[in-house]
Amino acid sequence: MPILVLLVAGCALPLLGDSYMGVIGTRACIYWVLVAGLNLVVGFAGQIAIGWVALLTLGAYVTAVFTAGTVVPEQSPYVALVLAAVLCAVFGLIVGLPALRLRTFYFAMTTLGFATIVTQIALAWKSVTGGGIGVPGPVFPWPFDSPWGFYFFCLGLAIVFTWMTTNVAASRFGRSLVAIRDAEVAAESVGISKPALLVTIFLFSGALAGIAGGLFASLQSYITPDAFTFDLSVLFFIAILIGGRGSILGPLLGTIILTALPEFAAPLVAWSTFLYAALLLVIVLVVPGGIAELLDFKNRRPLEQHRQIRPRPDLVSSVIADARPSSVLVVDNVSLAFGGVRAIDGLSLEVRSGEVHGLIGPNGSGKTTTLNAISGYYAPQQGQILLDGKALPPRAPHGRAAYRIARTFQTPRLVGEESVLENVMLGGTTDGRSSFVEAMLALPRHHGDEKVLTEAAMTALAVVGLEQLAPVRADRLQHSELRFVEIARALMLRPSFLLLDEPAAGLSAEEIKRLGDLIVAISRRGTGVLLVEHHADLIFDICDRVTVLNLGKELASGTPAEIRAHQEVINAYLGA
Amino acid sequence: MLESIISHGLALGAVYALIGITYNVMFAASRVFSFTAGMVGMLGGVLGALFINRMGMPVIVGFVLTLASGAVIGIVTEILTVRPVLKSLDQHLYVLSTLAFALMIQQLTAIEWSTEPQPFPRLLPIGRGIFDQQFWLPMLACALVIFGLEWLYRRTLIGRAFLAIAEDSYAARALGLPEQRLRMASYALAGVIATLAGFSSGEMMLAYFGNGPLLNFYGFVPVALGGMGSNRGAVVGGIALGLFQQSASVLVGGIFASVAVFVVFIIVLLARPEGLAGAATARRV
Amino acid sequence: MSPTRRRAITRRQALAGAGASAAALAAGVCRPAIAQSEPIRIGYLPALTGPSSSTGIGINRGTELAVKEINAAGGIKGRQLELIVRDTQSDPTKAVNASTELTRRHKVHVMWGPLNSGEALAATPLIARDGVPQMHPCWVDALTDVKKYPLCFRNAPTNQQIGGAANHYVFNVLKLKKVAVVSDTTGYGTASLTAYVPMLKAMGAEVVYEGTIEASNPDVKPEMLRMQSGGAQAIMPWSVNAGFLSRLINTRSEMNWDVPIVGQTTLGSGQTQALLKKPEYWEKVYPNNFRNCCYNEAGALPPRTREFVERIRKANIEMSDTLLWWIALGYDAPRLIAEAIKEAGTEPQAIAAYWNKVNNWPGVYATITFTPEQHNGFHDNEVVMCRANSLKDGAFTLAPGYAG
Repeated sequence: MPILVLLVAGCALPLLGDSYMGVIGTRACIYWVLVAGLNLVVGFAGQIAIGWVALLTLGAYVTAVFTAGTVVPEQSPYVALVLAAVLCAVFGLIVGLPALRLRTFYFAMTTLGFATIVTQIALAWKSVTGGGIGVPGPVFPWPFDSPWGFYFFCLGLAIVFTWMTTNVAASRFGRSLVAIRDAEVAAESVGISKPALLVTIFLFSGALAGIAGGLFASLQSYITPDAFTFDLSVLFFIAILIGGRGSILGPLLGTIILTALPEFAAPLVAWSTFLYAALLLVIVLVVPGGIAELLDFKNRRPLEQHRQIRPRPDLVSSVIADARPSSVLVVDNVSLAFGGVRAIDGLSLEVRSGEVHGLIGPNGSGKTTTLNAISGYYAPQQGQILLDGKALPPRAPHGRAAYRIARTFQTPRLVGEESVLENVMLGGTTDGRSSFVEAMLALPRHHGDEKVLTEAAMTALAVVGLEQLAPVRADRLQHSELRFVEIARALMLRPSFLLLDEPAAGLSAEEIKRLGDLIVAISRRGTGVLLVEHHADLIFDICDRVTVLNLGKELASGTPAEIRAHQEVINAYLGA
Repeated sequence: MLESIISHGLALGAVYALIGITYNVMFAASRVFSFTAGMVGMLGGVLGALFINRMGMPVIVGFVLTLASGAVIGIVTEILTVRPVLKSLDQHLYVLSTLAFALMIQQLTAIEWSTEPQPFPRLLPIGRGIFDQQFWLPMLACALVIFGLEWLYRRTLIGRAFLAIAEDSYAARALGLPEQRLRMASYALAGVIATLAGFSSGEMMLAYFGNGPLLNFYGFVPVALGGMGSNRGAVVGGIALGLFQQSASVLVGGIFASVAVFVVFIIVLLARPEGLAGAATARRV
Repeated sequence: MSPTRRRAITRRQALAGAGASAAALAAGVCRPAIAQSEPIRIGYLPALTGPSSSTGIGINRGTELAVKEINAAGGIKGRQLELIVRDTQSDPTKAVNASTELTRRHKVHVMWGPLNSGEALAATPLIARDGVPQMHPCWVDALTDVKKYPLCFRNAPTNQQIGGAANHYVFNVLKLKKVAVVSDTTGYGTASLTAYVPMLKAMGAEVVYEGTIEASNPDVKPEMLRMQSGGAQAIMPWSVNAGFLSRLINTRSEMNWDVPIVGQTTLGSGQTQALLKKPEYWEKVYPNNFRNCCYNEAGALPPRTREFVERIRKANIEMSDTLLWWIALGYDAPRLIAEAIKEAGTEPQAIAAYWNKVNNWPGVYATITFTPEQHNGFHDNEVVMCRANSLKDGAFTLAPGYAG
């Protein structure tokens, strides 16, 4: 869709016959090349990289210096452009790396710092950059040396990169990026590695910015450090946010609008940055989803009221095709303290394949912490988690998916802006075989992946009885439906072990019963289920074994019947 | 040379520390970092020059009016850019709303005031010495703010209410504290501190719209390095930053000074993301 | 049909046809006349806002006055001059955008500007590519080139001429050997620094400090301390930023450092004066200026200039916050453009050919001579140094010891 817009508008522009509009159009295409890449960083991955103009500067100077032939041997402009892409990919990684360690605001500040020092270095390194005098920009050979010729060159590149980024957005990489942004904890639980993904994106985005820089230098015909203003960085950033995060078409329209706007209102030129900022504020307060949200007609259609959730336990065997191998998950004398609070104190328990093991206890007894320790979010100070005798690495939550350990969360952690289907497809991320490059270029293996993943996700949704809500945005669903979507996502892993954190909270009595049947069906396929719950009836109905926690220690362990009669458990938790 | 490094470095450091404290006060009240901290600092200088130089008011009147304007802008920041996004689930919107507002302030100043640094009035009718007022005024302001905040937090009820909101806003609300009003008051206080920083350093830094982003960044470095929420960390970090920057400027030259500051900033931050004195981040899961 | 009626129709038809063709002929004759009353479009690219706007603001006053006068006198052969102005905001990117808009959309006949070197460096190649004749007052040497930019002419001195005069004053007149050369970080500043330091060294001077400072940096003391510790006997600043220059002057006095400041004309502008902390700080400051805009020993301006100052006063144009030579320069350019169009028409090549033959054109600001090989029209000996604190009505007296 965005490509269509570009193609039509882009090819129509020359028909206006106004070569000045051609310059504006070229500029819009060049900015869009940069914004298309930055969109993946800001709009999809949610990293607030405000100072990205640093890469435009670098790309422009690299291209100009390599074509000028004064400092290094002269290269053809195309070679220089490729060099700019490579160098800026690396530099994009350097600028982006702090994102892996720093909080949002801190990272935003560091990108601003980078933008400043790149300009300072351009000013100071006179022998290469010409300092304040600047350098002439590259001139591309025929047929791109005329204004319209160059316009079509930039338009062509813009279309190619739009196609690439659209492919990435529609792939599991795009979904993973959005997951990191909005539901990082859940993303880790399905095996998405934030560092690996961000590294890829920063490289890609940096390369695109470098190419945009080279084209920019050619358009300007002469570059000086003061051409790369903070205003330009702001423009790129705001174009993405006005367009809407997680969209390609939105930021494309945003870029075109923001580039063209000052041209139509000459007296407004001095106020342009002020107006962009004001527009951003309005968008953030009123329509945080930007233009994309305004154009999202699909999600304005009303949903059916009084929906029922009807899981299909009989379909579990289509999702978990092969019965799970027999294995055992052991929590071995684990202790975990937060500051001075001992959340778990010397706890041991076992979960076997095909068994539903209940974990109950008063609030604050350490139930969720136990799940978190098994999932690898926290490292125990003492003891370890063993899978078939081998210790699971602590503090490595994104590795659990490979061990086929899946989980749900106490509060549903889903990506609200994505559809239910896309959320469930997240669960199958680790099954994807195609690489980033294959996804980017829409090669056959990527298509194969998507087909398999979509089918599996639809089946998983059918299992939990929500397949009719597949295309709906997740944040439109009711709370109980969200819990079942999480289960569907977990099922995508074909888990050997499934950790459920209070899945019945907020469900109606009928829904709880259906949940129970579903859990039993899953365990019959060989999955070991560890069920943390407060609903005693559910626990006693479906569990094979129950462990009771109190103050981080095991209070009692045994069959449901034994636990129900246990005096201390009644005192501490169940009541008479 | 050494006296220039010390006097100038300490003065700049005091300004950076004050902006760092501004960030901290806003953060304590709302768990939000605002891009407006440095901008309001810049306005302290611009408004001071506007009221005293251009409009001809006496120094005291201009001073009071500037601080009052800072309080008003602080309140507007809270109402317009912080309160609406605190309600939403997306924690990162505040970065965008405060950024947008900060840019609006900056551009408005550039267009309406001037794009060039303008002179700031001499505040006290004392002659020039080695240790000139343009240097010790910011330091005095910093000391006043630190002691003032200590007294506020320990001795007054409202100060303790601020601390309560910062510690645990749910519990504070449950106790009946008017969270919204206290947050507005905090932001007003932050605005006053920022304009005080800008006003006291006006002669040294001149009334210039470009001081906004400068103070935003250099005022944030003490917070990042000293640990977010820690005012003492901000002061130590600010002074250290000021001295380091001035030494680099004098010994090596202007451009390399800013590169040096930034490199140190990045390295320290990557080594200890929560700052040298800060607490580790809260539980994620 | 009867033959007679057909003939009658035919005759009427013939008459109608003749009338029609006569009307067409007349219209054809009249059409050039309608086109001839179309205004002459002059593209104008001043920096009216931003860090380098002091030149633009001053020049603008002269340009607007000149265009008003020319139009009031009937324009050029009945055609009015239309100044299509775009503020570049001291930003080369905006200059590029604006110049493209002016050449391609408005199809201006001539371009006046950009008025700052940084912007001209970016815009001149594009203006040349679009084949529009260009007049500009920027000093950076590379901005004229008879081969690359055959339609581009400069009605102001080059950096070589300016720096040469300043360096000569410091080294030969004041007889000072150790020099500190400092500029801001704009294209103009850096180009000047790069040009002047070798010139000084070639003369035998010792450049003890050479550096650039960002114009907006409020603190120039560290750099000045380094100049002082290097043993500088004179400071030579090159920048059009009044704030920057005023800070250098202020800091020099606050350091109690008694060395002359010799350099860019903006050192003497009213804007710089307004930013000084004490009026006496303006002593021993010697900016460039131009013979035509300086008072001679008897305290009088040259007659042409005197008359011009009268005219400005009558038009209520402010001089105290800028420099007279900027206004004069701005006044001269439209007149030079108008004269070319009047004599040679609006064809680009014709305008350039006319300018190529201009010899000793009597401007208020300067006497201009162009040849096909030399598009820099300013005469060498018209650059002089003056005393900044002698500013009166925008003009100055010559610097002490300066014989010219």
